[in-house]
Amino acid sequence: MSYFSILYLLAFLPLVIIIYNILPRKIRPIILLIASFIFYFIYSKWLVIYLLLSILSIYLAGLLMKHVNDRRDKALNEEIEDKKKIKTKYKNINKLILLVTIIFNVAFLFYFKYLNFFQSIFHLKNKIIKHLAPIGISFYTLEALSYLFDIYHEKYKAEKNLLKIMLYLSFFPTIVEGPITRYNEVSDTIYAGDKITYQGFCYGAQRILYGLFKKMIIADRLNIFVKIVFQDYVRFSGPIVFLGAIFYTILLYMEFSGTMDIVIGSAEIFNIKIPENFRQPFFSKNIAEFWSRWHITLGLWFKEYIFYPVSLSRVVRKITTFVKKVFNNRVSSLLMGAIALFVVWSLNGLWHGAGYQFIFYGYYHFTLILLGNIFEPTIINFCHKLKINRENIFIKIIRIVKTWFFIFIGELFFNASSLKAGMQMLKRIFTHFTFHSFNKYVLTLGLDIKDYIIMAIALIVIFIISILKEKNVEVRDSLSKKNIVLRWACFYLLIFSIIIFGAYGDGYAPVEPIYADF
Amino acid sequence: MKNFGKSILFVIIFFVLFVAFSFLLTPQENIKKYGMFKISSYEILEEKENTLDAIVIGDSLIYSGISPMEIWHNYGYTVFDVAKSAELIDDAYKSFEVVIASQHPKIIFFEGNVLYRESKNKPWFYVYQELYKTYFPIIKYHNNWKKYLFSSLNDSLEYSRLNFYKGFKYINKTAPGKKLNYMEYTDKIKKVPRENQETFAKIVDLCQKNDVELILISTPNMKSWNYSKYLGTKELAEQNNVIYIDLNIGNPLKIDWKTESRDGGNHLNYKGALKLSNYIGEYLKDTNLFKDKRNDKAYASWNEAYAIYKDMNNKQ
Repeated sequence: MSYFSILYLLAFLPLVIIIYNILPRKIRPIILLIASFIFYFIYSKWLVIYLLLSILSIYLAGLLMKHVNDRRDKALNEEIEDKKKIKTKYKNINKLILLVTIIFNVAFLFYFKYLNFFQSIFHLKNKIIKHLAPIGISFYTLEALSYLFDIYHEKYKAEKNLLKIMLYLSFFPTIVEGPITRYNEVSDTIYAGDKITYQGFCYGAQRILYGLFKKMIIADRLNIFVKIVFQDYVRFSGPIVFLGAIFYTILLYMEFSGTMDIVIGSAEIFNIKIPENFRQPFFSKNIAEFWSRWHITLGLWFKEYIFYPVSLSRVVRKITTFVKKVFNNRVSSLLMGAIALFVVWSLNGLWHGAGYQFIFYGYYHFTLILLGNIFEPTIINFCHKLKINRENIFIKIIRIVKTWFFIFIGELFFNASSLKAGMQMLKRIFTHFTFHSFNKYVLTLGLDIKDYIIMAIALIVIFIISILKEKNVEVRDSLSKKNIVLRWACFYLLIFSIIIFGAYGDGYAPVEPIYADF
Repeated sequence: MKNFGKSILFVIIFFVLFVAFSFLLTPQENIKKYGMFKISSYEILEEKENTLDAIVIGDSLIYSGISPMEIWHNYGYTVFDVAKSAELIDDAYKSFEVVIASQHPKIIFFEGNVLYRESKNKPWFYVYQELYKTYFPIIKYHNNWKKYLFSSLNDSLEYSRLNFYKGFKYINKTAPGKKLNYMEYTDKIKKVPRENQETFAKIVDLCQKNDVELILISTPNMKSWNYSKYLGTKELAEQNNVIYIDLNIGNPLKIDWKTESRDGGNHLNYKGALKLSNYIGEYLKDTNLFKDKRNDKAYASWNEAYAIYKDMNNKQ
């Protein structure tokens, strides 16, 4: 049951809303929990057992760590002996609990996502096991690990109520494609059972419609073109292959951010606040900024649970201290960042998929960010000497367009069937650079001139909304202050543009949920 | 309460606009005569009156197995599939009435599988399917906006109100069928349920009144067809003095069940459909009742439809 399906939008979600709202406050979170497990069961059937095992493991580990911490506090109050020793003793116990639970959870992820890949690396091809992975395993495993790390670091107390943890990991709007939430971010609202308000409902519904607009008018329309170009790239000239990469990037953004709109909108109806996953990524002036605006919750997860621990680890500190002595402070801090970034992007690439093209995708971004870090001061200096104002609008546009180019190339590898195919496509862009037959292909690969016009109009609408968001204007707030005629006209326009201009039915192939595979 | 009232008004306006857009986008050819919802419910009403040579009535076996566009391309005959999932004979009779009111085909094929489906065993999706088809025409015809907007632009891929599948559904998946002995001989007759026999007799009557030849046909189907059903259908055909063609015994179409089924022998895939469509084309040719209309200007839209049909298939 995709978030874009009629079954979800016109049956499942409305039914949950009705049942949720008519029942008393105390029972409402249970309704969300039941709905979440039904939703999950429809998707993954009995693989739900793995989700349950993850839930149980982190719940028990959390309680155990809490118990250990309580004993430590008691010992600290009672014993006169060395407090540092007591702390170390109990910390080591918690470290062991943490380690065992991490291994337990990551083992499932490894089995379902990476076993085949590693088997093929080590040429164990005949032993490859065919299996379906539990839906959203990459997302809920990271959520589970974040809970464990936070409890270990005593950021908040372990949850005693199992149902709360169950709802946190299985919540139906976020289970398939995220965002990757932290327990303390959502625990207040997710289990509150607040009544659905008129405003919350309207805002949630508007957000869902905006997601449908992005996905059905743009992403689904581009799908056939993208599919043909990526499957059969040897047929096409460089500009068409590059256009395929551009279209895929647009498609990916519209599909993923559109899904996030539906996810956040669905949660908003129940007065549950889910963190944003995108912040106008295509306004980024460099790759590092792009990754702080694209799939934000994943970036933050890696930053908090990988980047910082690695850069502050004993080994890295030793290396950087040595480098500091031999060279200088700047080289040492660059190296510290580089080591941590390398680990982050190795894992980030692998998280996106078990394949060489994904590993390459990770290192590609690692290289771009590292080069940015190395050359940024020189470029700033250079601009300063030549009196170039980097904040000038034209310079900004040039920087943004330059960033787009690198993003398009990265996404080309991301969607390529293999690393080799990605390399060949990239090569083809330059070696077969001719505009011969360009017009013919542009208008015959599933898109006609009218499709382009509709897409252009939709992209302009999204661009305007993005500019407003960038300026911290909440479009829904502004719209709600307008008179009812204008307001409703906008809503009807949105609804009927999706119904009429949506790319569905004969001749279109809707995009499958891309991030649901991760 | 104020918000409740506002919500109701919002929904009412939505429905008014919904109907208005539906009307605008539904094929206008026969809309005055049959109305928007009826056209949406019966795709065949999108066709110009009295332009069809033959019609095939049935269930998913028909819309998966017979492609009218292939018959048009190879023989120049105009055929239309009037078929829906898990079709019931009562609804098939209603379809017959609609067909006869708008078209005068010389031959109507009737899929035997429908005879054994009883109304009391209606599947859950049946009502939903009917409602959806009838009352949400905009979902089906939404792409017709291309006819109205930017009409001065001459593009290479023209979508139109033209029906380019003529009731067929292009599915090119493959899932091999394994029950190769499904037509094993038995003398047990699986009788067609009494109520269905009565409805079938009404269909025969209607055909006779309108001078249409009715042909019972059982198309290749490994999963739900068998020798007992063949005997039962044969008996019914004899009782009603109707021709019966069985395409299962001895596998006359040489269906390769490894590659020509989309779901383990239940339905044919596109490859299998090419064989069955050619069989129907050849059958119609042998009757000497029909002219090849491929060069007839009055049927130019069928050539146009074929070009779009091919293009659509290539993209999937």
